[in-house]
Amino acid sequence: MTQDTTTSGVKRREFLKVLGASSAAIAAVGCSEPTGKLIPYLVSPDETVPGVSTYYATTCRECSAACGMIAETRDGRAIKLEGNPEHPLNHGALCARGQSALQGLYNPDRLRVPMVNEGGTWKPITWDDAVARLAQALGGARGKGGVFINQHESGSFPRFLDGWLAGYGFEPHLSVDFEADSAAIEANRRTYGVAWPALSFSDAKLIISFGADFLDGWGASVPQQLDFADARAKLDGAPRFVYVGPRRSLTGLNADEWIACKPGSELAIANAFAGKGSIQQAATESGVDAAQLQRIASEIGASKPVLALSGVGGADALEVALAVAAINQAGGAVGATIKPAQAITSFDGMTTTAELLGQVERMRAGQVGIAFVRGTDPAHYLPRAIKFAEAFAKVPVRVSFSSYPDETTELCNLVIPDLHALESWGDAAPIRGTISLQQPAMDPVYPTIKGGTADFLIAVAKKDAALASRYSVDSYRTWLIAAFPGGAPALATALPHGIANGSMGGAAAAAARPAAPATITVQPKGTGEGDFFLITYPSPLLGAGRGANKPWLQELPDPVTKICWSSWVEIHPETAERLGIDRGDFLDVKTSNGTIRAPAFPYLGVHKDAIAIPSGQGHRSQAKLAPFEPKHHDASQVQWGYGRYARDVGVNVFDVLPASTNAAGGFAWTVTKASISKTGDNRILPSTEGSARQHGRGIAQAMNASDLTNPPRPEEKEVLPGDASHEFLPGLRSPVAADAQGELGAPTAQDQGTHKGLYDPNDPRGMTRRRWAMTIDLARCTGCSACVTACYAENNIPTVGAYWQVASIWAESRPGLNIERGREMNWIRLERYFEGNLDGKFGVDFETRFVPMLCQHCGNAPCEPVCPVYATYHSPDGLNVQVYNRCVGTRYCSNNCPYKVRYFNWFGYGEADRKQYAFPEPLNWQLNPDVTVRGKGVMEKCSFCVQRIREAENRAALEHRDLVPNEFTTACAQACPSRAITWGDAADPNWTVAQLAHDRRAYHVFEELNTYTAVVYLKKVNHPAAGAPAPRA
Amino acid sequence: MAATATPLRDGERPNIASAAVRFPAVRDYDQVDREIGGTLGPSLGWFAALGIAILCMLVGASAWVYQIREGLGVAGFQPPVMWAVYITTFVFWVGIGHAGTLISAILYLFRAGFRTSIYRVSEAMTVFAVMTAGLFPILHLGRPWKFFYLIPYPNWRLIWPNPKSPLVWDVFAILTYLTISSTFLYVGLIPDIAILRDREKNPIRKAIYAQLALGWRNSDREWRHFTRAYLFLAAFATPLVLSVHSVVSFDFAMALTPGWHATIFPPYFVAGAIFSGIGMVFTIVIPLRKFFHLEHYITLNDLDAAAKLCLFTSTVVGLAYVTEFQIAWMSGNRFEIDYFWNRVFGQWAWAAWIMLICNCVLPLSLWSQKLRRNPTWLFMLSLTINLGMWFERFVIIVPSLAHEFEPWQWGTYRPTFIDYSILLGSFGWFFMWFLLFIRQLPVMAMSEIKEIIPPRMRFAHAGLEHDLTEGTVYPDDTGAPH
Amino acid sequence: MQGVLGAFNEIDAAVHAIEDLKKDRFGDITVFTPTPRHEFEHVMKHPPSKVRIVTLIFGLCGVTFGYWIPVWISDYWPIIVGGKAVAAWVPFTILGFEVMVLIGGLATVFAMFAMAHIPRLTTTVGYDARFSGGQFGVWVVTDPDRADQAMTVLKQHGAAEVRRER
Repeated sequence: MTQDTTTSGVKRREFLKVLGASSAAIAAVGCSEPTGKLIPYLVSPDETVPGVSTYYATTCRECSAACGMIAETRDGRAIKLEGNPEHPLNHGALCARGQSALQGLYNPDRLRVPMVNEGGTWKPITWDDAVARLAQALGGARGKGGVFINQHESGSFPRFLDGWLAGYGFEPHLSVDFEADSAAIEANRRTYGVAWPALSFSDAKLIISFGADFLDGWGASVPQQLDFADARAKLDGAPRFVYVGPRRSLTGLNADEWIACKPGSELAIANAFAGKGSIQQAATESGVDAAQLQRIASEIGASKPVLALSGVGGADALEVALAVAAINQAGGAVGATIKPAQAITSFDGMTTTAELLGQVERMRAGQVGIAFVRGTDPAHYLPRAIKFAEAFAKVPVRVSFSSYPDETTELCNLVIPDLHALESWGDAAPIRGTISLQQPAMDPVYPTIKGGTADFLIAVAKKDAALASRYSVDSYRTWLIAAFPGGAPALATALPHGIANGSMGGAAAAAARPAAPATITVQPKGTGEGDFFLITYPSPLLGAGRGANKPWLQELPDPVTKICWSSWVEIHPETAERLGIDRGDFLDVKTSNGTIRAPAFPYLGVHKDAIAIPSGQGHRSQAKLAPFEPKHHDASQVQWGYGRYARDVGVNVFDVLPASTNAAGGFAWTVTKASISKTGDNRILPSTEGSARQHGRGIAQAMNASDLTNPPRPEEKEVLPGDASHEFLPGLRSPVAADAQGELGAPTAQDQGTHKGLYDPNDPRGMTRRRWAMTIDLARCTGCSACVTACYAENNIPTVGAYWQVASIWAESRPGLNIERGREMNWIRLERYFEGNLDGKFGVDFETRFVPMLCQHCGNAPCEPVCPVYATYHSPDGLNVQVYNRCVGTRYCSNNCPYKVRYFNWFGYGEADRKQYAFPEPLNWQLNPDVTVRGKGVMEKCSFCVQRIREAENRAALEHRDLVPNEFTTACAQACPSRAITWGDAADPNWTVAQLAHDRRAYHVFEELNTYTAVVYLKKVNHPAAGAPAPRA
Repeated sequence: MAATATPLRDGERPNIASAAVRFPAVRDYDQVDREIGGTLGPSLGWFAALGIAILCMLVGASAWVYQIREGLGVAGFQPPVMWAVYITTFVFWVGIGHAGTLISAILYLFRAGFRTSIYRVSEAMTVFAVMTAGLFPILHLGRPWKFFYLIPYPNWRLIWPNPKSPLVWDVFAILTYLTISSTFLYVGLIPDIAILRDREKNPIRKAIYAQLALGWRNSDREWRHFTRAYLFLAAFATPLVLSVHSVVSFDFAMALTPGWHATIFPPYFVAGAIFSGIGMVFTIVIPLRKFFHLEHYITLNDLDAAAKLCLFTSTVVGLAYVTEFQIAWMSGNRFEIDYFWNRVFGQWAWAAWIMLICNCVLPLSLWSQKLRRNPTWLFMLSLTINLGMWFERFVIIVPSLAHEFEPWQWGTYRPTFIDYSILLGSFGWFFMWFLLFIRQLPVMAMSEIKEIIPPRMRFAHAGLEHDLTEGTVYPDDTGAPH
Repeated sequence: MQGVLGAFNEIDAAVHAIEDLKKDRFGDITVFTPTPRHEFEHVMKHPPSKVRIVTLIFGLCGVTFGYWIPVWISDYWPIIVGGKAVAAWVPFTILGFEVMVLIGGLATVFAMFAMAHIPRLTTTVGYDARFSGGQFGVWVVTDPDRADQAMTVLKQHGAAEVRRER
């Protein structure tokens, strides 16, 4: 099934054009005006049945971890990415960034042709011309030194690349992952001998994290999240989780206890816990109550094995990491919770930031004749203090293999666009002894791109007499097959699984690079003037910036602050009050390196002496481009500044950071101090957050682990948390709530045909037997928001935050304006409620509860009877159905929905001829053909992925069988890396959901409204420290 | 011309329904025709006013066109506030539309004397107000070009509206109300159009009036059926008035939304509607009687009586407000309590206080007879009543939606220039029709005024006393002396 | 149709004229009055209007139809919304009422038109523009030979003007 994908002579790109044209028609169905015909194949390529999906196992390249993916392709186009269940790393889960790879593939600002910059103007050139030009340039650059800055990848491409470079006498490439924690890696190497041992959360009794945000992207976050959720799901046996750090990240919010220490004081605490320092000294240095530290210290001693993690951003990261390693050794972690045996090899062979900076200095010194950059954007994330552009300009030949018009590419003079990972061959080595395979899921979106970087390099090498012999292969694919253990046949059998055992040969030979001039000074913590520590951290969604050009990730609210399409400054409410700063006040953040301006976000989870700013935004362009205008946009014009979605959104925090590294050579994120000043102007934050408090309404309920074990005394039965009220069971037992049946009450009535319904009596699948339902386990949910992106991908949900998606005349226009107006379309949203510490005092701990909120598919749905045109009604299998073509847009249903989960198309987001169109070519190639793209003026909402239900039912009907329990699930449940969402038929006890719905932690939101919802929440379980009960709700 | 009114002194309480008190300055039939007929025909000031109205209407119309083209997003909606200025204005105009039928139908059944002089104006006002209100349910749709989906007519799609939806009840109620009230207006107009037809010199206008008069001849047979039919029409219109605004209130009362889900809404809305209607009647009638010099038809006694009705409905509305808060307080329902607290102290407190002051406090001034008989004061008061009643609907709709069950989805609302333009346009549309009306058709029912004016006698007080006293029983029991 | 038309300024004169004409067996008499006066009703002794029966019948038809529409619609596609009964009688009362008022009201008006013989195409014979203004008219349909007698009766009761029409 796999080799054909590229070799089958069928020109799939031809019909892609055709489909591209017809997709406008698909997009138009929702608004019921223009309709068109899908033009079928003239000659159908093998294994491609129109309307039937083909699945390709491949590997995710969005971060270094290299999770396994299944790419669903329909009619030759990848339309959905899901985790590969067989993959040993992520076991079928996939994070929001991984799923957004599709928008990198179909990014409207992808570079389509090789370009050369002559005298400041960019000129498109042909593929062969590009080969010739590079070959010639290489001839000149021989011996002058060449630097290849590549995004970090495990697998055999690095080896191939180094081999190629060596051929020209260049030193090995720099393998850069700017977000990776070099200090932790170095400490791991020294302690356990491997870069990244497998971490086992479920075996731990106590998890203590020193700023290690293992749910936000630190390390391999998907497997970590899976394991962490499993650990927490052990309820009363679950490990307690303590977070030490000046800022509560998403990981920190999932902790049971937060030790809010001063930035840079983690070392003292870690030493104290490791028994190398005194609690008292740690207390004074960190400003944390000594008693609390003492309690934790003794807890560490009491509960073995512990799992202590270090990911601090300070310049002393390595020291902290080593101290933490000591805690682990003392706490019996090694072998139990930290398993060097099953090492994660994704981070092997990574270059440190210090090395990168050293090469930059070489460039500045003019010792580099040619520089290559691929898949990474140093001009964006290297602190401005480095003056990278200036140094880079000293290199005569600057070649970029980037697919996107990012800042570094703009500085180059030759651009050869790379193929996207979903269009090209490759491999990765996520776990020792395994090969994760990467294969093209489709032909290149832009046929003008004739191959990936590797193919290009081979073509270049062929031009060189000396090298031609070494590169006999015609393409990188053949090179891979040759390198694969067992060759082509083995590969053919392995590809469907996407994973194979063995190794592609020796890892990248770490040849010596010439030593860099030592100009990088390791700065002591907290240098610079100003009264606040400036905490910076990689955004969990945008990373150091590479996610910023994907509208899904821009639109996805930050899991912690719930702000999107913007940068922000986190400041503690107490401090904000003291300085008279309100939410949305623009602040000037000044360090010794510069000043940036961003709106303030008062946040309970940041130290009162610190402010926090995420990285990722603030992409800009050298060339002053006019704002993007969809109506008069010609596709050939390159959207420099990392594309229309990223340019001029927010600010780049690296502008104010010093270039300092820790002892391990990793980038030091939190080293400088900053002073803030109000600028006077205020703006409503583009945030999806209404009120961060529940006001005692019991939306997100929690209980203490102890309540599960201690049987409740009868008199407090009503108020006992965790005692599932079964008032709602009528809503789940019967297909539609018994009293929701009206005159069709008797389940048999319809089968007997006594009533002619929309489906009965001749419904072969007996829908009326079913009651689709969902349980969401809040003890598992970490709030990572992967489900939200999965929903966007599956259901063609438009993103509405781009600055041009607003009215045409007299309309203000800025990124996220529609979000400010609350017009986001997220069918499933992650609500983040704070409990405790109502008056926002620093030092008082607080609890966070995440609630995925989606259409509850009520048995007695308030939205249904008020619709004047039956645009929403109840299907026999218990779905609350929305009929787009029937909807006239009275929005009464939304007014009457207590859960506020209905979303309205204020503009023609789905109409291709409109300014607000959300899927500019070729983004619309990703649209799911099974789901209508809604036109303007209609209401939409979660459909429980009805297209998947019907597909499964039809498949079962064709195979003359009944549905197998748990045989399929919704997009959100499939993606959830915490396995918090379970979906299925609650009327059939064989489905997991039917059993979970009777869990004693089960409850319904707003049960008192008698809506008989189909979504059952399982209460969150808190593990408060002894004598500090968590708030109940 | 306030002098024509007989000031009421202590001890002396004349029957304000008697012709002598009500039209002391009106002597005979010809004077009625002369003076009321004289109000017709265009004038410069009228053209100016009409021009302004049409201009405002066009502003609104162009805003609507733009909104249809771009999508509802151009208006200031901010989920969860899905309904805002449009529905507010819709309810406002429906409310205005109630005074007309109330005055012409209910007061007719109750034989209230002061009805005669103002009912034609208020009936016209009703029809035009409902015409205005009727635009908004279409205008606020996401897909207005599909509005006919709401109408139950046999169609090839074989699909029908949902008769359980309050919005469909609205369709029935509003359309019925529009039909019946305009029929009522026209039927009442027929005899007067006949008068105009007979007086008109201009052949074209005469021909038009002749068509409209349907050949009415004032024969006894015609009058016999006419009075009967008019009575039954009034008998139908009376419950209709009450039902229509009850149905409009169901749009809110049938929803779960805190602040909407209340059983007192129907009576509460009806009272409010009548209140706002009377207010609008004052706004229209007081300038009208001045410009048309009709002070001796619409006398201070009439205004006085209407003001009392206004005061009464104001107190009913006030009671309803208090009851809402009291119910929320007693309910112990967290959502209700939060919402009502938010209503008076939350972000829209100012709107709530405008509502309370304009609708409950200022009208209390009408306890003073002096102010009741002071047209200037009544006019100013009527403006604040209109304002207050608009804000009543705003306060019911927007803050409720912005502060619902789900705190994460609490929101706010900021209107854009589109909302304002369409609001302005609705006033332009209304006054355009009204201005067109007052210069083409009589603003008062001439034939009904003639009922009250004692007819000329050949032998005044002589001989025929017996026959005539018995005969001269006026349909509205004014017991006028002769 | 021919007869005699008399115009009176005073109502009592008109009343007495009619009384005498009736004494003289003049059958077909029509009164034109600018405004309905009970004096004429008394003297003409017409039976009460039949409009109300029409109103009653069509009102009943209306309410029946008004109930039938939603019930039929609901049963056409028995779709469950919000757990309400498919044919929910209580809310349908509203539609029943509105349709009753609509049909009943319109029927009343048309009945009135029919019974009062309007719209009529001509008003010339036996009508004078003054009757909509200030004067009362008495129109007696009679054969030419008795016309003089009618004219004298009208004259002697002080008709402002008396004329024969055909």
